Amino acid sequence: MTAAGLARMLPGLATVDLIESEDIGIVGVGEATLPHIRGFVESLGIDEAAFMKATHATYKLGIDFRDFGRIGESYIHPFGSFGEEVAGVGFHHYWLELQRQGLAGEIGEYSLAVAAARANRFTPPAGDSSLASTYGYAYQFDATLFGPFMRDFGIGIGVTRHEGLVVDVERDGASGNVTALVLKDGRRIEGDLFIDCSGFRSLLLGGALEEEWEDWTHWLPCDRAAAMPCTHASDDIRPYTTATAMPAGWRWQIPLQHRMGNGYVFSSAHISEDEACEAIRHSAEGKPLADPRILRFRPGRRRRSWSHNVVGVGLASGFLEPLESTSIYLAQMAITYLIELFPDGGAIDPRDRDEFNRLVDMEYDRVRDFLILHYNATTRDDSEFWNHVRTMTVPDSLADKLELWQRAGRIEKYADGLFYDASWIAVYVGQGMLPRRHDSRVTLADPMRVRNALERLRQEIGTQVSAMPGHRDYLMSEAARLADAA
Amino acid sequence: MSEARERLRRIAIAGGGQLGILTAIALRRALPDAQVVVIGLPPDPAGFADRASTALPFTNRLHDRLKIDETQLVQRAGGSHRLVTRYFGWGDEDQVGEKQNGAMAYGATLDPQLRTRFAQEWGGGRSAGGGASPPGSLAEVLADAGRFAVPPGDVSTPIDQVDYALRWNMPAYREMLIAMAQQLGAQHVAGTMEALQPDGAGGLAAIAIAGQGLIEADLFIDCSGTQAHLLSALPEAKRQDWSAMLPVRRVLHAIPGEPMLALEDRFSLLPEGWLCEFAGRDGLQVTLALADGVSEDAALRALGAGPAGLVQMEPGCAQLPWCGNVIALGDAAASFEPLGFLNLDLAHRQLALLLEMLPGRTIEPLERAEYNRRALLMAQQVRDTLAVHYASPRARQVFGACELPPSLEAALDQFARRGRLPFRDEPALLVQEYMALLRALGFAEGTTPQSRSADQRSVEASRQAFAAQARAALEFTPPYQQFMQQALQPQPVASDLQY
Ligand SMILES: Cc1cc2nc3c(=O)[nH]c(=O)nc-3n(C[C@H](O)[C@H](O)[C@H](O)COP(=O)(O)OP(=O)(O)OC[C@H]3O[C@@H](n4cnc5c(N)ncnc54)[C@H](O)[C@@H]3O)c2cc1C
Repeated sequence: MTAAGLARMLPGLATVDLIESEDIGIVGVGEATLPHIRGFVESLGIDEAAFMKATHATYKLGIDFRDFGRIGESYIHPFGSFGEEVAGVGFHHYWLELQRQGLAGEIGEYSLAVAAARANRFTPPAGDSSLASTYGYAYQFDATLFGPFMRDFGIGIGVTRHEGLVVDVERDGASGNVTALVLKDGRRIEGDLFIDCSGFRSLLLGGALEEEWEDWTHWLPCDRAAAMPCTHASDDIRPYTTATAMPAGWRWQIPLQHRMGNGYVFSSAHISEDEACEAIRHSAEGKPLADPRILRFRPGRRRRSWSHNVVGVGLASGFLEPLESTSIYLAQMAITYLIELFPDGGAIDPRDRDEFNRLVDMEYDRVRDFLILHYNATTRDDSEFWNHVRTMTVPDSLADKLELWQRAGRIEKYADGLFYDASWIAVYVGQGMLPRRHDSRVTLADPMRVRNALERLRQEIGTQVSAMPGHRDYLMSEAARLADAA
Repeated sequence: MSEARERLRRIAIAGGGQLGILTAIALRRALPDAQVVVIGLPPDPAGFADRASTALPFTNRLHDRLKIDETQLVQRAGGSHRLVTRYFGWGDEDQVGEKQNGAMAYGATLDPQLRTRFAQEWGGGRSAGGGASPPGSLAEVLADAGRFAVPPGDVSTPIDQVDYALRWNMPAYREMLIAMAQQLGAQHVAGTMEALQPDGAGGLAAIAIAGQGLIEADLFIDCSGTQAHLLSALPEAKRQDWSAMLPVRRVLHAIPGEPMLALEDRFSLLPEGWLCEFAGRDGLQVTLALADGVSEDAALRALGAGPAGLVQMEPGCAQLPWCGNVIALGDAAASFEPLGFLNLDLAHRQLALLLEMLPGRTIEPLERAEYNRRALLMAQQVRDTLAVHYASPRARQVFGACELPPSLEAALDQFARRGRLPFRDEPALLVQEYMALLRALGFAEGTTPQSRSADQRSVEASRQAFAAQARAALEFTPPYQQFMQQALQPQPVASDLQY
């Protein structure tokens, strides 16, 4: 992604050399994305259909969270909104009021994205400001195909690829800057700027430069995943990702055109790798297509993602578990910021580096708090793991958000970074964390009129969803170009 | 199970200027069963928000929301339209010794698609940086040609991306608001405040008014001007001093000149300070903000017209504009010189924030904290926007070097070297507007890496696309004079109970 992005956005400013090792390969998980990826694909000038075909992609309207707040309950965090505000008061306040009176359905019934997802239907959103425009979508794709697709695209627009294993990093004694990478066969690759996309190894940033690591295990105890693909168990292809809470973490199900990705993200302090593999084998809906594979990681980030002339992008700079499919987004944002702050003529201005690090930190912090919420907002007390996350001390930044919600039904506002009102509301409400009080103004409206308005919205959503094609049908027909869906 | 909070029953607003009245309208609309009492106080001469005859485009949206009809405002309150603000003499001289001038338009290049909150959230839209700079703005093209129309909004036209600010005659506008507030049932009490009764919880229980007795309320809104009569009496209240960053202490108003119909207003940098020339249908208003040490004689000469009054001021803002059950708005929350028409705009954005976070009868400490966090960000963004003027190449010579807020220093550095501005929460201006302002003030703009590597053909293509848009906009719009004649024709009012 980085090589393709730089080559496309900054042609003529820099030549890009990409080094990778087939001996090591890519991590090859990372299948669910956020809607921002569409902007990335589009700005590279890649045709959506070609892209989806090459990566066996499906559409994604959100994530279905099961058993998080309480076993047996589920909710969808959609790429979309719930209802509309009325007289300056957010929809959820009206919903809370009707819900108290027993007159409202689940909050997801007032979201077109949720309703479409539940019905396994899909059509792209409208471009106007109608109800049909109130959602977005992302892709679920085969990560083992996405990496090579990006690489080949990059090569096509001028990236030079070097196959080989980096065995040594040369640095300038005075400045500490990296000057060259030495490959196993003796080749030396020089550069002005080095982007560390070496994954968990963090070869340059963590390895050579020994950039300090900020560990978040105390808030996000999961440190392993057991991943295993399987066949589709039914004819439907879900236009959403499923995250199901497990005794020591959670597991994902990501539907692709040709198979289903599965994985159990767990805390090794609470269960063993063997137990996790057993659990994922046991829970797969279709026929396993491979043995479970264990991935090990640590949640946290480098204190600085850009140090000297090395910029970390992707897993080399930090890791937050895939509960909200944020890793590829974080990589994409790092690439975007790098392009904006790209050094001139090789000289790096420390102010640009600081600005880059500020932006990356902001993105990580926002995601971190939102992920912790999923663990902390629960009544589960059925395992040691859930007892721990339910009772742990959360970051102050999150504690304030929680209290503001509980006392007044309000969401802390910010405009940069990820996750705004609708996302927070989806998780709070979905995990059973209702506030104690909501906006005083809702009782001014005639309850019957509010009820009727909500009912009309629900019906209109129902009508529009029934008119949408099934997700699989849409993949096959509308995008006959996506022939692999068949 | 969540319950609706108990509603506010009684709200007292200290200050009956245009802001206090607008606040009363907003609160009566939000809470039709609450008593809203406006306590009329003598106007504050340094209350630049309350005295303002204009704001920024945000106000038009607030007016819409409060059902304040723009046509009526134009017909009854001397309303007119501003497309650009011109800046003269702020930049350095160019090679041939001409001082560089520039113009700032509103929302000029913002893609309307990105205006919806939804697009920002999940549409994958907004980028933090400035992106490629456009060849110009349609608003500037129209202002240069003296042509204008209000974009209709419901059908697509060549001027859909043009945004504008409204001007008005303040006393007439205030009268219009008073009529509306009365019609909505807001009460009015005149008199001097004799005493404030604390509520024992960091706020107020009542205000004693001479000859009128006690006014009790659940919530008090301080629109009393720069003295912040309510807020400043509370134990927690603390002021943030901006005087090291903003150099102006004296502002001189001229006697209004001849009526003037124009689509632009001007800020010129003179050796004596900055001069604002503001076109009003009721008369040209001229204001001079004095640099330190300028003599009265020199100031009067620079003003060019008879003086109407001199205002002394200390810039700063309330660290916690909401303490206990008292919320300060406008001049009481932040006071600063009337540069860039930000005073009333900030006040209106604070009012919108109050409406968004309107508390129940029992106030939650954390909602107060969240309001204060955002309100302080808003005020500081305004401060930075003002400070940018004094950091411009020639202003330093007139006003001396001022302290630069660190956030601004970083932003200016990014603009100068990289042609981008970092995105900030609660900004005073949109990123594109801010960039236009910086250019107008004569800051040299760096280039973005993308623009350096952009190929000439695509640049030429967007130039041509813009030229076509400009032609269409010019064809679509009548001369401003003609537009105004049309707008002043009496029109059937949807409901004559409007005011
Ligand atoms: C269990 C799990 C689930 C995930 N799910 C999601 C998800 O749903 N959505 C999402 O957005 N993200 C997800 N992620 C994250 C996602 O997988 C990564 O963000 C993505 O794969 C990018 O990884 P990367 O390129 O940083 O690292 P890698 O894929 O590990 O790539 C590292 C590259 O560096 C090369 N390399 C390393 N060392 C050397 C060397 N010495 N010499 C030469 N080359 C070298 C390798 O050959 C490889 O090409 C998940 C991660 C995990 C662990």
